[in-house]
Amino acid sequence: MNIAPRYLGRGSWLARRDPRVLLIGLALFVFTVIQVWDLRILAVLGVVAGVYYRSARIPFAAVRLQWTYVIFFISFVVITNTLLTGGELRGFTEDELHVYFHVPLLGTPISAESVTYAIAQFMRFLSMAAVGLPIAYAIAPGDIGPAFARLGVPYKFAYGMELTFRFVPSLSADMQTTIDAQRLRGYDWERRGRGLLGKVTRTIPLLTPVTMNAIVGAEDTIDAMDLRGFGTQRRTWLRQLRFGVTDWAVLAGFVAMLVTVTILSFTGRTDLWVPEVLIDLAS
Amino acid sequence: MSTTVMPEDRGAGMWEVTTRVIVYAAIGAALYGVAAVFSVLIPGTANVSVRPAFALVTFFGFAFGPIVGFFTGLVGNMIADQISGWGLLTSWNWSVANGLVGLLAGVFGVTLARAIPNRLVLSAVAAALAIVIGFLFVFTDIWLGTADDLSVAFTANYLPVIASNLIAGVILTPILVAAWDPIRQSMGR
Repeated sequence: MNIAPRYLGRGSWLARRDPRVLLIGLALFVFTVIQVWDLRILAVLGVVAGVYYRSARIPFAAVRLQWTYVIFFISFVVITNTLLTGGELRGFTEDELHVYFHVPLLGTPISAESVTYAIAQFMRFLSMAAVGLPIAYAIAPGDIGPAFARLGVPYKFAYGMELTFRFVPSLSADMQTTIDAQRLRGYDWERRGRGLLGKVTRTIPLLTPVTMNAIVGAEDTIDAMDLRGFGTQRRTWLRQLRFGVTDWAVLAGFVAMLVTVTILSFTGRTDLWVPEVLIDLAS
Repeated sequence: MSTTVMPEDRGAGMWEVTTRVIVYAAIGAALYGVAAVFSVLIPGTANVSVRPAFALVTFFGFAFGPIVGFFTGLVGNMIADQISGWGLLTSWNWSVANGLVGLLAGVFGVTLARAIPNRLVLSAVAAALAIVIGFLFVFTDIWLGTADDLSVAFTANYLPVIASNLIAGVILTPILVAAWDPIRQSMGR
């Protein structure tokens, strides 16, 4: 069970950027996208997200599982939330909808508006995932601490972030060892029966030993850090981060997108826009 | 050597940021991120999945204090989302909600300690209260557009997540505390 993110984007255009660009860029992009329901603007943002993601040169074969999960998850959210429970849409009353049919049993109207809303939801999540994924694969592991520290996170917590990413591979290895050991004793988490409660209680033989081992093992790390004077004075980092011209340009692009979309949003031009072709289908 | 007194023993020290706090926070977040792969999507909800490992958030908050709990929930949830491909900040408000639960578990663990002397019962009560209150933050989904209105946010997001996490938190937190307490005493913490 090796679930630790690997530095797959090494050497790519995006990986050569200051790691803060990836973190700030994602935050700016998320706040841009969440204001938009207009498919035309979302399409533009989607293209930007796609180009940005491609610049990380992450081999698709290595992240196929993640993308499958993302697509499945988004589809699930969109179908259940928007189509089945979203009969009442943002800014539309039921008599304004161009209804195709009603969902049997539930009675939820499936309309040009709800389909547009679903597509918009899908595009919003997909573009956010495309901009977010490179953080795991295009930031050098040693850059995480300095990046957060330079973003204003108190240095102890920035170091905690770096420590967290460093612990992930070893803890996932410990988890796998424990799973293997418990399987030899007949343990099977995926065994059917007893529903949700069964699933929860079946994690006890895994969570308890892994957690206790991790906590006891942490003593060595604590001692090592204390012996090196961690926390006694402000920490400096070996890795010095400096924004280059390209970094500033990328950030300026994200800021420009956010400002433009915010202005459009305040003037009511990011609301749900239903394509004529979908409305025509209802007639 | 660090000489931190555990927050359950000294309420005043629960906001202190020591080496021990940072390392336990990092361990908690990494464990939560790793163990979150054991999750089951709840049908009919908005991206709500049952993560038995969620009990780690309440456990770390209860056992090591609110700062550790907050970091474990916030960063652990971000890492779990990032590993799965969902993205570090895509559901940032859910990560904050997870962090708040950890923080509250730590606060309730200290403030209710006199009223509930039995540590296992206390841990279950602290976990339950923290989950019910902390996850109120997911109502920000209405503002973010992930939930259409209050009723959708309540029925499709809040209710399923607190129901599933209450099961995980109330059952697993006391078990983890029961496993940790003898170790803690043998380590002299």
